[in-house]
Amino acid sequence: MTTWFAERPVGEIRPGDHAWLAYTDREEQDRVIGDFVFDGLSTNEKVVYVTDSPAWELPGLLARHGIDATPFAEVGQLRLLPRDRACLSMGRFDPDRLLRTLSQEIDSSFEEGYRAVRVTTDLSWALREPDGARRVVSCESGFEDTVSRGTIAMAICQVERAHCNPDELQVLQNTHEVLVEVNPEFDDGVLTITRTFAPYGLRLEGELDGVRQSPFVDALAKLSSLQARRNRIHLDLRRLSFIDLGSLNLLGGFALRMPAGHALVLDNLRPDVEQVIDLMGWHLLPGVARGTSGGLL
Amino acid sequence: MKLRHEVLPYADDAAFLETTVPFVREGLAAGDMVLAVTGDRNLERLHGRLGGDAGLVEFHRSQEWYRHPARTLAACVRQADVLARYGRGLRLVGEPVWHGRGPLEVAEWQRVEAIVNVAFAGTGASILCPYDLRALPLSVLDSARRTHPLAARDGGTQPNPGFMDPWAFADTIDRMPLPPVPAEAASLRIDAADLYWLRQFVREYGKAIALEGWELQCLLMSVTEVAMNALRHGRPPVDLRLWVDQQTEKALVCEISNAGHWRPAPGMGLVPPAPTAPSRFGLWAVRLLCSIVQVRTGRAGTTVRLRLAVS
Repeated sequence: MTTWFAERPVGEIRPGDHAWLAYTDREEQDRVIGDFVFDGLSTNEKVVYVTDSPAWELPGLLARHGIDATPFAEVGQLRLLPRDRACLSMGRFDPDRLLRTLSQEIDSSFEEGYRAVRVTTDLSWALREPDGARRVVSCESGFEDTVSRGTIAMAICQVERAHCNPDELQVLQNTHEVLVEVNPEFDDGVLTITRTFAPYGLRLEGELDGVRQSPFVDALAKLSSLQARRNRIHLDLRRLSFIDLGSLNLLGGFALRMPAGHALVLDNLRPDVEQVIDLMGWHLLPGVARGTSGGLL
Repeated sequence: MKLRHEVLPYADDAAFLETTVPFVREGLAAGDMVLAVTGDRNLERLHGRLGGDAGLVEFHRSQEWYRHPARTLAACVRQADVLARYGRGLRLVGEPVWHGRGPLEVAEWQRVEAIVNVAFAGTGASILCPYDLRALPLSVLDSARRTHPLAARDGGTQPNPGFMDPWAFADTIDRMPLPPVPAEAASLRIDAADLYWLRQFVREYGKAIALEGWELQCLLMSVTEVAMNALRHGRPPVDLRLWVDQQTEKALVCEISNAGHWRPAPGMGLVPPAPTAPSRFGLWAVRLLCSIVQVRTGRAGTTVRLRLAVS
């Protein structure tokens, strides 16, 4: 069963959204959740975070935005709810309790006069419990009602990708209408460049040509400096409708400079673009490999 | 490893086989990869005469092999390069197709013959080009003399006195004046560095003549490359013109002109980039993607005309 869902950058999450983040690593979590919390705090929205961590340890805030959220927690704009008060019963995850807690928090936020409230929590630990997957799924189903009931709440449910098997991931994904991702590195209405984490790389949408090469070069450079353990950089091109010869040259040059055993992988090339590269010959782009094919989306 | 590029003018079956058979056998003995590309009749005769050895030779029909000048050249050079890396040679009996081609195409294929002398240099390839004296116009035979350093004559191989420097020959093709732009051509002045709108314009035009898919992509990539060069290295005004030409075969023609005088290195994208030193493949790629690319440059300005055959 394929479920329709929207992929939305965190900057575009709106009230009524019940979003899902299966983060691959700390960097992705920092970027999405850090931006989510920061955007709320900086625009006078309420933020409710079910976590045992102190304010200054919340993902992404200090590292990305340079703020210690403790003062916000002190005045109540940031509401940190420890797990044992929000969602545990006898030391185990209790989905019903979580839903009740969050409903109450959303109602309070409304009464306090906030025009929006952002809710988030990391449920990786709950998945690891016996029968954890089923409980988290039942929680998520209830979440829909809780969040879309009013007009002021938006939620991101976080899970660390490595904690789920592919089936669980699919089931959990199906309980959400929105998948949240990082904000794009670049977007000028013609070209959008977004970091991807599973697989590691970039997603390019729109048209890439000479005038837009700088942001592309910058994005690639940032990737390779973080490369460390990764020997393949993936470019998701399913929504790239045009790439010029200069940019292909650039890809070839970039791939050449990668260390031995590394590759730049082009995934989901559109058939008409792929056929042109076939015509030119992939040997003109040494170090560039053809990845998965998926055609149009 | 030296290139051998030889023309074989022949007037009957006997003359054809007299040279091609020993040429092929020599190649087999040397461990070359041997290809025979010619017309049906010659293929049959050569196959028959080679007997058991025929199984070691790859046979192709000229009509299927000589489809596109740059692409055919690129594929052959690539094959020769790969073989050379292992100390082997490419040995080709290659009879180009001349009939049923318009004058522009004929000129391009003649230029390919000239460029062979540069593109295959150092690959140790042996290329024997049969030209049928009974069937070909004098102009084609004449150009064959100028593009092959060697000729099969009197049962042996002789240097060809008429041989011309490949770049000089290529120049003669590039000096033929371009026919004028037809009055009904669509036109667009290019003054923005962002070529997104240029591509939209070309897309719309392409749609009107049912040009789509990868062929449309070829056009868009070529137009972007040429327009970008004109903006970066040329002088304004930079103009684009588009029309459909139906004189010989139906083709979409796109011309980009600017007021600058371009002095390119010899070759102008005519030679495939060397495999060991991949470099910017701009104009060479444009030649691969379009059917024919014509470049005219001088003090009055530079014009690049792209032709894409449309079905």
